[in-house]
Amino acid sequence: MIFPLDDEFLLISGKHSFLLVAKTRTRFALCLEIPADEYVQRVDSGDLVVVSAPDGGSVEPAVMLIELVRTYHMPLLVLKKGHPGSKRITRVISVAPEISTSCSIQRGTHPEQHLVCSSDELAGLTLTSIDGGVRISTIPSGVSLKAVKCWITTEFS
Amino acid sequence: MCSVGGPMDIDIPPDRIKPKSYRCNECSERFKGIGKNPICPSCQSEDVTEI
Repeated sequence: MIFPLDDEFLLISGKHSFLLVAKTRTRFALCLEIPADEYVQRVDSGDLVVVSAPDGGSVEPAVMLIELVRTYHMPLLVLKKGHPGSKRITRVISVAPEISTSCSIQRGTHPEQHLVCSSDELAGLTLTSIDGGVRISTIPSGVSLKAVKCWITTEFS
Repeated sequence: MCSVGGPMDIDIPPDRIKPKSYRCNECSERFKGIGKNPICPSCQSEDVTEI
């Protein structure tokens, strides 16, 4: 299935969890801060940014996380496997041209960007960036897709 | 559910990621890049050399 995607977000929702998908707008160097080292990965305009919320919750923090990475180029922090903080991570992010979801990885502990931790109900999806949209491998039953528009604005008084 | 707190976890060996060391020819930044066509994390230049 192909879902058209331009400047909005694609929300893929299950019963208890969701993925929020967007595209990068510029080329930049994504820094992955792993324990005791730093890796740098090239990101091209039009690559996918996917936030996974395996426990669900509000969409707005996922939007903020996407913008922190794709607009402000915030480095990604990768925890050591077995780190106690892993269980407190409610949203994880990956940036790549193609991203697959998996429920069999520990949250926040893998630097490989072609995988993102998801819930059971959203596991096994492959999202691929294509011109003008996103190709989604299969849509499990009970999962819905919708376009979401969201802006972060600040007013100073 | 995700494997947090549970027994199931795919352990991705660290050697599956093979970073290469680069030096930026514009700003002299040294960094470890993964993937193709790396760019400098400091000045965003594509003019980098593997070292």
